[in-house]
Amino acid sequence: MNGKIVRNEQISAGHFLLRVKLAESFKTPMPGQFVMMRDPGRIDPLLGRPFGVYGFERSQEEVTVEILYKVVGKGTLLLSKLREGDFVVVLGPYGRAFDTHPEAGKVVFICGGIGVAPITYLAEHYRSLTAARDAELICYYGASKAENLVGIKELKRICGRVITSTDDGSHGFQGLITERFSADISLYDTGSSKIYACGPRSMLKELSELMAGSSVFCQILMEERMACGVGACLGCTVLLKDGGGRGERARVCVDGPVFDIGDIHWG
Amino acid sequence: MKNAGPEMQVDIGGLIIKNPVLTASGTFGYGSEYVPYLDITRLGAIIAKGVSLEPRAGNKPPRIMETPCGMLNAIGLENPGVHVFIKEKLPFLRQFSVPVIANVFGETIDDFKRVTELLSESKGVDGLEINISCPNVKKGGTIFGSDPDMALAVTREVKRLTDLPVIIKLTPNVTDICLIAETVEEGGADAVSLINTLTGMSVDIERRIPHLANVTGGLSGPAVKPIALRMVWQVAKRVKIPVIGIGGIMNASDALEFLIVGARAVQIGTANFINPSATTDIIDGIEDYLKRHNIDDINDLIGTFDEEGKAC
Ligand SMILES: Cc1cc2nc3c(=O)[nH]c(=O)nc-3n(C[C@H](O)[C@H](O)[C@H](O)COP(=O)(O)OP(=O)(O)OC[C@H]3O[C@@H](n4cnc5c(N)ncnc54)[C@H](O)[C@@H]3O)c2cc1C
Ligand SMILES: Cc1cc2nc3c(=O)[nH]c(=O)nc-3n(C[C@H](O)[C@H](O)[C@H](O)COP(=O)(O)O)c2cc1C
Ligand code: FES
Repeated sequence: MNGKIVRNEQISAGHFLLRVKLAESFKTPMPGQFVMMRDPGRIDPLLGRPFGVYGFERSQEEVTVEILYKVVGKGTLLLSKLREGDFVVVLGPYGRAFDTHPEAGKVVFICGGIGVAPITYLAEHYRSLTAARDAELICYYGASKAENLVGIKELKRICGRVITSTDDGSHGFQGLITERFSADISLYDTGSSKIYACGPRSMLKELSELMAGSSVFCQILMEERMACGVGACLGCTVLLKDGGGRGERARVCVDGPVFDIGDIHWG
Repeated sequence: MKNAGPEMQVDIGGLIIKNPVLTASGTFGYGSEYVPYLDITRLGAIIAKGVSLEPRAGNKPPRIMETPCGMLNAIGLENPGVHVFIKEKLPFLRQFSVPVIANVFGETIDDFKRVTELLSESKGVDGLEINISCPNVKKGGTIFGSDPDMALAVTREVKRLTDLPVIIKLTPNVTDICLIAETVEEGGADAVSLINTLTGMSVDIERRIPHLANVTGGLSGPAVKPIALRMVWQVAKRVKIPVIGIGGIMNASDALEFLIVGARAVQIGTANFINPSATTDIIDGIEDYLKRHNIDDINDLIGTFDEEGKAC
């Protein structure tokens, strides 16, 4: 459907917050689901671009979706040039959502770079899910440098603890966020801990090595290039380990983008 | 009772369909994927994702890459094999009152024959589209579509084994597509469809590696439309059997161009990806055009191209 941009603002170098007003019929996205977005006035770029949902509001007056995005190429650069009042096509919500656990004790979020976007929406969901209890929400957030820790204020509002790392040491631990997380990993070795992660493939792969053999619940959000977003083109497949339960290959757009970390074959 | 709209029914080689808009193989899955997004019973017919005798895992990722006004794909015909197709995919499609055409792929003539037999016996499909034109697989694929002798042999063998209408899908990656079209007509094809994708590639200059794991892929989308249209026009003049136009059709205007130059029907591929209801939007747009031009029957429009522009 067509959505109208109500905000498209640079919040730090190369990172934008986009807010789009949608028709009432747009379904409320579950955390981990994504939308396909494109400029209806163009056939170049041709395909929609997938973005995780960062925020969503449904009130009496309006329905709006929020996307937090990083400019990495042609599509995102053109998106950043759109202005308030311009239209974008928003399809979705698509994909398999994160499984959530109202009874969770410690909920751990691990994000790298722009992976913070879908994680923030999930954390927000968990905060309301566990509002009545003293569940602990802890976030590990890594980026290249301090100014790229976008949306950190929002995360601090939602999570009890936010632990950061940067490649250059300009904020928090110097090094990879998976290194920082591995120092604490024994704290979460219980059945009541739930771990969620989103970030670059290298980060997720390292996390999978840290979690190998562990029985702690751990789900990740994977990214792949997409064309259709609905499972028809088979363009977005990832390899599963034997016994992944869904056959040898899975489509990130419909069988994912959320996967149990142990199911992925990293190749 | 008939509604007041123009007649949209066409005959594509013995298969009568209620309008000339079909889904292109590989871009509409097995139908179920798009059910939430459009009324699939409005389609002229559904052409399912290509099916082979044995299951195929397809190519390694990355399998797709966007290029200006188009995309490259190298899926490699991932599919669960004809047995699973018949048992698990067809029953779902059969629930809807819309004709189903299976798209058949083989690495050898025997593969084509066996899949044809199994699909015919299954009684679950209304027609066969024989894919002798897939550019993304190492064996089979375009070999059958670029060698006239092979194209003739596949067509004859398949026709011998089935009473279903047989559409031969042609590759544009040849010197003279008309020659192949004439050859398969001679072999008994009931219709031809064209074009499959054009072989292309794209390079990541930072890393000096191909963007697709398969190195080359098939180009589709608006970028290929002028070429597809030219080929459909040429082939429609050379063969008597119906021609089904495919390639970069994004809207009703694009579809009408193909019909005017002689296509009996059109297939919609990449457009489904960016607009899940592209097919039904195109059906509506063609109807509007016919009304606007006071044409009662779409067959009175097909092939009415005025090449020399005498009407001006
Ligand atoms: C489920 C999902 C959720 C996502 N959520 C977000 C989000 O919340 N915020 C955000 O900024 N980005 C998100 N992405 C990534 C986003 O889709 C890509 O950054 C975008 O498609 C790039 O388009 P482009 O035209 O600017 O880049 P291109 O010019 O197409 O490519 C530039 C670079 O980005 C890489 N790239 C292209 N497409 C993707 C893709 N689908 N996933 C990952 N990398 C890609 C390319 O390999 C290349 O290195 C998500 C992707 C998926 C699959
Ligand atoms: C992702 C993808 C998968 C495809 N798979 C098949 C296939 O299995 N069999 C086939 O005959 N053609 C296949 N095709 C080709 C299309 O059916 C069509 O001929 C081509 O894409 C050109 O049309 P378009 O520009 O409208 O997409 C595929 C195309 C795409 C983009
Ligand atoms: S993007 Fe088409 S199958 Fe996933």
